[in-house]
Amino acid sequence: MVKRINSPEDLEKLRSEIIAKSKAEKHIVSVCVGTGCIALGADETINVLEKEVEKHGLKGKVEIKKVGCVGFCEQGPIIIIYPEEICYLKVKPEDVPEIVSKTLVDGKIVERLVYTDPNTGEKISKLGEIPFYKHQLRLLLANNGRIDPKSIEDYIAVGGYKALAKALFEMKPEEIIEEIKASNLRGRGGAGFPTGIKWETTRNAPGEPKYVIVNCDEGDPGAFMDRALMEGNPHSVLEGLIIGAYAIGAHEGFVYVREEYPMAAEHISIAIKQAEEYGLLGENIMGSNFNFKVTVHRGAGAFVSGESSALMTAIEGKVGEPRPKYIHTAVQGIWNKPSCLNNVKTWACVPLIILRGAEWFRSIGTKGSSGTMIFSLVGKVNNTGLVEVPMGITLRDIIFKIGGGIRGGKKFKAVQTGGPSGGFIPEWLLDTPVDFDELKKVGSMMGSGGMVVMDEDTCMVDAARYFVDFLLEESCGKCVPCREGLKELSRILNNICRGEGKEEDIQLIEDICETMREASLCALGRTAVNPVLTSLKYFREEWDEHIKDKKCRAKVCKALINYYIDPELCQACTLCLRECPVGAIHGDKEHVHWIEQEKCIKCGTCYEVCRFGAVKKISGEPIPPPPKGMKPIRKRGE
Amino acid sequence: MESNKRKRSKSGFVGLRINEEHERILSKLQETSGLSKTELLLRGLEILSEYYSLEFDKPALSLELRRLEMEALRYAEVIRHIRQKGRALRLVIQELRDIDAIIDKHNADKSRLIQILLDVQKKYGWLPKLSLMWISERLGVPIAQIYTIAEFYKAFSLSPRGRHLIRVCMGTSCKVRGAEAILDRIQRILGIEKGKTTPDGKFTLETVNCLGCCALGPVMTIDGKYYGNLKIRDIDEILSKYD
Repeated sequence: MVKRINSPEDLEKLRSEIIAKSKAEKHIVSVCVGTGCIALGADETINVLEKEVEKHGLKGKVEIKKVGCVGFCEQGPIIIIYPEEICYLKVKPEDVPEIVSKTLVDGKIVERLVYTDPNTGEKISKLGEIPFYKHQLRLLLANNGRIDPKSIEDYIAVGGYKALAKALFEMKPEEIIEEIKASNLRGRGGAGFPTGIKWETTRNAPGEPKYVIVNCDEGDPGAFMDRALMEGNPHSVLEGLIIGAYAIGAHEGFVYVREEYPMAAEHISIAIKQAEEYGLLGENIMGSNFNFKVTVHRGAGAFVSGESSALMTAIEGKVGEPRPKYIHTAVQGIWNKPSCLNNVKTWACVPLIILRGAEWFRSIGTKGSSGTMIFSLVGKVNNTGLVEVPMGITLRDIIFKIGGGIRGGKKFKAVQTGGPSGGFIPEWLLDTPVDFDELKKVGSMMGSGGMVVMDEDTCMVDAARYFVDFLLEESCGKCVPCREGLKELSRILNNICRGEGKEEDIQLIEDICETMREASLCALGRTAVNPVLTSLKYFREEWDEHIKDKKCRAKVCKALINYYIDPELCQACTLCLRECPVGAIHGDKEHVHWIEQEKCIKCGTCYEVCRFGAVKKISGEPIPPPPKGMKPIRKRGE
Repeated sequence: MESNKRKRSKSGFVGLRINEEHERILSKLQETSGLSKTELLLRGLEILSEYYSLEFDKPALSLELRRLEMEALRYAEVIRHIRQKGRALRLVIQELRDIDAIIDKHNADKSRLIQILLDVQKKYGWLPKLSLMWISERLGVPIAQIYTIAEFYKAFSLSPRGRHLIRVCMGTSCKVRGAEAILDRIQRILGIEKGKTTPDGKFTLETVNCLGCCALGPVMTIDGKYYGNLKIRDIDEILSKYD
């Protein structure tokens, strides 16, 4: 039977009780069960772990915790053993018996499962010393490896809801808003609007009731930090939301979770239920006379619905399309009442600011952007995963120091920040610090935190085309500049990628972009121009090559490339011949293979399967004639 | 003459016209339901009397009922392959009750329309027209508005889906890691384009904008099971595991 918390003293008493209970000398084995690690079999690992712990009679001394995303996704599935902080990577179910017997029983480290520095070969077992983690400043993600997201008691044990107690009993709503303003917290959803001012506007706007909303739509492809936070520490977001509601004077809140994140929706729903049971949500929170209830609203698969006015319309049960924001949603939002919408990460910052103070928060980061930011570092980088860093760190440090550089030893070409609303940043601008204003200056934006790394094999024209096509499909269609502009841009860019580009196209693209930027109804249309314009600005030679020379230097655009088997490297193993879905490859075990160009559909299978690197992609050059009847030059030892 | 008299007194249907076929059906009905024709008739009269006392006109009821019945029978025949009307309607009544339960779970709140549709989508794998008609009636939302929502959001399908749902991630990170080649391969093997279902009803192929597990890219899910780090040559084998 859960005892309701009716005062801050009750909370502290409960906290000490929980901590005392877990004081026993024991190991905690945290297994990451975020969506990514589950996809790699973490479920099965847990089954084996439970059996092995039982087998060795360790049941009272070892606690198995299912934790949320710890961020080092490239090396998943991950297990962290506390209190030593031993981090095991790429753990398979078969590895578990050894982990239990060697580490939990004998106290020794399983060397082969520990991080190996790719340059020095050094083995690093402690989580905090792994380069990926060493250079990060994990404030929001600090507890993701330590707590079971489905347990409110775990959250309380690490200091949860202390900020709420302080806010409700030691601060007045106006003081809270002043504190948030003083911290210079800026919205982590994309635009970077000062959060304190948004809260103040909502509080002062005429009209009751007022609403607060968590935006967990995270529509940017390649971004999953909100997912990790919601899955791994939903209470941190909830606590921030309750504090915000109290400061603004709202008694009802919504959490909008996108349909593609079922686990996040489940975890926040459980958190809400638990908070209500413990008296930390609902009527008379903690005995403070403040009432606040929260409902979860799931999305249904629409990128544009992540825009704040669109999201509010969706919560009303209507089609989630944006409206022109002559009047801010903070003044007239859901059902035309003042509504304050903030991103998941923004809400999660609030308890930290309340507890440690605005000055502390401002001391991290840059003058214009305080605090930390979580980026999802993805694409062609070695250490794909979630990175939390102080604002002001350079892109170069994130990609190379933390990210470990480009995978496969390829050359860096561009990094795309801010999702489809952001832009491409080339190599010579890599020392740009991550800061709301600095990123805008180079033509991109912070956005929600997606950071996609691209290498020499990425075509910058094709990448711009990809974003335009994406936005074209997601556009709500209400306004002419966005709807018609994207349609035209898509037609032109697809033509260029097909080798049908014309010289006049570039000027036309720029004209269309200018109109879209000035006249679109919402930010989707206005910022849709960023990928196209930055690609043109920084990679103009690739565009000229596509249009004038019909050449794609990254060898991506199908119409501009041909697959060719180098007769000097081919070993006539017949593998590509057999795998070719259209039978376009000729040859046999005694003769070098060659591709019949008219049949080739350029699917890339032969390129993928060849073990000798004999299949090449060529572009903008004449195709050498097929070497019919040539014998292969056998490599020694093959 | 003699036989007719006997027939009439056996069934007890004095005064009400009856022919051989009706006779057969009605005695079967009595067997299975335990209700006689007169009891059935009385029930019908009771419903009519309630309707009239609420000042409804019988034509209005029969029009509504007929519309619903038509859609119900069409749904039962085309989707569930049930032709026999009695069984068809019994099935539909049960399904409508299930949908009622979903609507009631959300307190029949108009603003929860999208949530209700998500639950129906989850239960049936698609949104049958019948369910939309019912939701429209219960929530008081015009069906055209419901269609707008169903077509705007990608999570909804207005036609039945295949037995297995393939969702290929086409997010930026997966794209630079070769998701388009994976999609091409699947389209080639199944012979359908994205958004479509194979003629044998086995697979429905859809693309998704981001599944949020970018370290595994390129990634796809089949019936919610994740397949990551995909290579073109793995696709054949993965798909062959499903029947």
